[in-house]
Amino acid sequence: MDALQSNRRQFLKLFGAAAVIGGLAPEAFAKPKSTQLTILHTNDVHSRLDPFPMDGSRNAGRGGIVRRATLIEQIRKEQPNVLLFDAGDLFQGTPYFNLYKGEPEVQAMNRMRYDASTIGNHDFDGGMENMVLQFGKAAFPFLIANYDFKNTAMNGRTEPYRIFRKDGLKIGVFGLGIKPEGLIPKELFKETVYVEPVETANAVAAVLRNEKKCDYVICLSHLGYQYNDSTVSDRVLASKTRNIDLIIGGHTHTFLDAPVNVLNQDGLPVLINQVGFAGIYLGRIDLTFEQGKAKVATDSKAVEVKS
Amino acid sequence: MRLKKTFILPVLALLTTACQTGYHLTNQSYKRVQVDSLAAPADSGMARFLQPYKQQLDQTMNEVLVVSAVPLERAKPECALNNLLTDAMLQYAQQKVGVSADCSHLNYGGIRTGLPKGPIRIGSIYEVMPFDNQLVMLTLKGSMLRQFLEFFVKSEADEQSLVVGGIRVVIKDNVLTSIAFTNGKTFDPNQTYTVLMSDYIANRGGGTAFLKDAVARKDFNLTLRDVFIDYFRQLGKSGQPINPTTDGRITIQ
Repeated sequence: MDALQSNRRQFLKLFGAAAVIGGLAPEAFAKPKSTQLTILHTNDVHSRLDPFPMDGSRNAGRGGIVRRATLIEQIRKEQPNVLLFDAGDLFQGTPYFNLYKGEPEVQAMNRMRYDASTIGNHDFDGGMENMVLQFGKAAFPFLIANYDFKNTAMNGRTEPYRIFRKDGLKIGVFGLGIKPEGLIPKELFKETVYVEPVETANAVAAVLRNEKKCDYVICLSHLGYQYNDSTVSDRVLASKTRNIDLIIGGHTHTFLDAPVNVLNQDGLPVLINQVGFAGIYLGRIDLTFEQGKAKVATDSKAVEVKS
Repeated sequence: MRLKKTFILPVLALLTTACQTGYHLTNQSYKRVQVDSLAAPADSGMARFLQPYKQQLDQTMNEVLVVSAVPLERAKPECALNNLLTDAMLQYAQQKVGVSADCSHLNYGGIRTGLPKGPIRIGSIYEVMPFDNQLVMLTLKGSMLRQFLEFFVKSEADEQSLVVGGIRVVIKDNVLTSIAFTNGKTFDPNQTYTVLMSDYIANRGGGTAFLKDAVARKDFNLTLRDVFIDYFRQLGKSGQPINPTTDGRITIQ
């Protein structure tokens, strides 16, 4: 039983409901307001606007924006509070990118009403000027907290984080990109400065949680799910930080059957998810929130993920 | 009064809670939604949005670059297709980038399929090279060049998978007994040579870890596919069908 409810029950029993409601703030005893949030996400769609061709291969017929659009629209009809994110690598992988340089990818995301995306290494493939041009067509922000674009054409074109408000909920969302050196040709990323992601994440997440009073903090990451060495991955990030609730990952094209929980520096669970690549899957996380502070007892262990 | 005292704390706690505007998580569930025809019908608005892009894309992919009189199948240890593609790398680097490399190499596994007899379209080149591998030039010491070439000759995963341009080699018992450059240079294990290759190999994909000791590297920010499209388009300018043959650059004794 909820300790809060149990206290209230005992209190009411002892003093009488009428006296209490009359003498004290009535909202204290109303059922706490609860609200729902649905987070939808993709990663590494790689210009896969059409489904995979029906050639008998493993992914034949899967993916494609025309069906993803229907699915998202159906979910929006059922759920009042939806946030839709992408974890980077929108670009490169089909001839659409070679011909149109990313325009239909961004326009399609506008039509599906994406709320934010982070930047993947392949989003540099058309060069920085192309990134300015194509990202400029987006109706959603590109969030990246650990790329310093000051001395590049992308200067001022991104935000480290954004706060979304849904039915009283404050959702803080920030982005992290992968180290470009050795992955992206220098001619493409130019003077982009990569800032160490763990420190950056800790600083940004603390601002979102403590200063901005966000109820839930999400990291859109293109770091990759896991590596054999000490390279910063989503798992490393989760374990070495605090104040992050959910990491929506990308880059490693990892198909997770369900989100994975990793304990952070405070011993609190961080949910990590990634849905492969090419828009074969749409990730959906449904969250229920209740107004007020969580009891320590519930906070310190993972809220079960039902899939 | 004792009772009152005891219950003042919970009351205050309740009030504090009520004044908090924040929320906390009480439940979460997850679903991975597969995007396919079973999951959802096509969104007609999105289909209309994509249609003009798709139409123009199809037109582009259908551009005929050249007509081949013969089917160009990929084959080992030497075939006309392998030779054409590696020659294309050398010619493109020289004519379009102004770089004269000593030889060129392709990973056999990266050539995904052959080219048809008849019209060779841009789409055909995409089928041969679906990945966006880039043209890279490494400068290798002669001894490492030999190691590099023999790596593909001996490869357990893909035996006799050497695909080269600009050199003629003789192989005996998986060892190169002769390396001759078509540009007239002579092979010397202590001299350095420039080798055009895929960034996949230059980045030490496929087990070529020893390439970390290459003398130099040059990136062109150019996909191999674009190199091949340009090459076949030029071949097509004569208006004559091509009929490529092998030239014996790889001899196995």
